[in-house]
Amino acid sequence: MVKKQLELLVALQDLDMMIREVEDVKQLGFETPSLDKLEKAREELREKIGKPLYATYERLKARYKRAIVPVKDDTCLGCFMRLPTSLAARGREDAEVITCENCGRILYWLE
Amino acid sequence: MTREELARLFSEQRFIVPMRAKNKDEVLEELLDTFVREGLIRNRAIVLEMLHKRESLGSTGIGKGVAIPHGRSTAVPDVSIAFGRSAAPIDFDSIDGKPAQLFFMVLAPPQELNSRYLPALGRLVELVNESKNRKRLLAAESFAEFVAVIKGEE
Repeated sequence: MVKKQLELLVALQDLDMMIREVEDVKQLGFETPSLDKLEKAREELREKIGKPLYATYERLKARYKRAIVPVKDDTCLGCFMRLPTSLAARGREDAEVITCENCGRILYWLE
Repeated sequence: MTREELARLFSEQRFIVPMRAKNKDEVLEELLDTFVREGLIRNRAIVLEMLHKRESLGSTGIGKGVAIPHGRSTAVPDVSIAFGRSAAPIDFDSIDGKPAQLFFMVLAPPQELNSRYLPALGRLVELVNESKNRKRLLAAESFAEFVAVIKGEE
């Protein structure tokens, strides 16, 4: 359940990145959607994410631009602080949403 | 970004000539699987969804027989590119309405320290816009020959 929510959040962040880069990509000669279409797709995705988790995402996004970050080699790729071993073990279980103790970003285990 | 730097984003494991794909969806999956096989991407489903989402919002078929599906995902660890060429042209909903034969898949994490994603995409577009390069890419039989084209070696 948590894993699914985290995956939806990752997809939402990927979409937010797409929205942010529409103009840049357009200038390179790619066909890009109107912002309305992207916003609509974002809205549909947002509805599937639990309200408290979404609120945390928005709060973190306002602060860092990137709210959910991957963990690699037990390191938060948002602030590059090494995570306690116990946290890494809990994160892999996908039973709860885990945030970085240092920067507060939501953590996503790539492995 | 220099062509030398661009060439470093490719790998022989992500070079498929000829591709097996027969349609657009299969092209996306076949290229993505090269990243998965190399161990670069663990969550295939999430990246595939991002790529489909991108295509549904506007095709990355830029015309002249070339498509450059691309995107950023939290599930991608570093900027990297895969290349594939199909023996027969494949319909990719390209902007010129013509099918594509040369496919580049550019993947990147949401934020990278050295910002190579957009420069790499730009350099690639520039490169394939030259008909001389497209002809050479259509003829390259090995990864070494392919890299020589990317680097601009004669």
